[in-house]
Amino acid sequence: MSLLVFAGASQFAMVQLFSDQAPTAIVVASVLFINLRHLLMATSLRAELRRLPIGGRLFAAFFLTDESFAMATGHFRRGGRSLAYYFTFAISLYVVWNLATLAGIVIGSAIGDPRRLGVDFAITATFTGIVVLAIRRPGDAVIALVAALIAGSFALAGASTVAVITAGALAPLIAVFVRR
Amino acid sequence: MIWPAILGSAAATYLVRSLPFVIGFRGHLPGAASRYLEALPVAIIAALVGPAVVAPAGALTRGAEPLAAALVVAVVAWRRSLLAGVIVGVVAVALLRII
Repeated sequence: MSLLVFAGASQFAMVQLFSDQAPTAIVVASVLFINLRHLLMATSLRAELRRLPIGGRLFAAFFLTDESFAMATGHFRRGGRSLAYYFTFAISLYVVWNLATLAGIVIGSAIGDPRRLGVDFAITATFTGIVVLAIRRPGDAVIALVAALIAGSFALAGASTVAVITAGALAPLIAVFVRR
Repeated sequence: MIWPAILGSAAATYLVRSLPFVIGFRGHLPGAASRYLEALPVAIIAALVGPAVVAPAGALTRGAEPLAAALVVAVVAWRRSLLAGVIVGVVAVALLRII
């Protein structure tokens, strides 16, 4: 599953749905919904990836995840132009993710709760830091804060599958309507 | 039962990631649209952070994550270092969860 569906949140959802004996259509629809946010991410990366031929873009798309998007965006916002940065990071992530999945299958039950060590917070902290480094104008900070608050509220209301796509699509409207 | 769902999910995942790269358009974007697209990346990453901070693992936070996230913001804004922010954040959240 990890080799074909390279999407963390979806994989966790799928495991849950499989154990609930959910029908195939429900599983696929859930995954589609969870990953709708990548539609936004790919749209935002398009300007940079336009330099690639179509085959290269289709190859890049398979490895597009929250993490590779965030790292690539951070890189481009700091003025970087290298697409090798994206591919190196994204493909390494794919390899490590699948090796770790294999390790989990083999020795998973021997490890206790990872939350105890705070390791689960590393990704959140990384994303937070990328947002801070990407802020160039006061308006950016407002948009980031609004996006985080909208997504957080949706998640608290139990609508975590649509939280990111809703917040990610709504918050940039501020930039459209408020002139700087 | 499981394999059709995995293959279907793989197709769905790939579809949303590749579609914007395939359907391209030429010409210039109107100002409003380019301002929207410019604000998009930061908004999406911030939107990924929101739920992880207020509702980690799906349950309302007991305070450790928002405090640690505020600390990360402060450290990264001050040192301009992602690594320093992540290390401080992870250590802080581990300590705060014990309290």
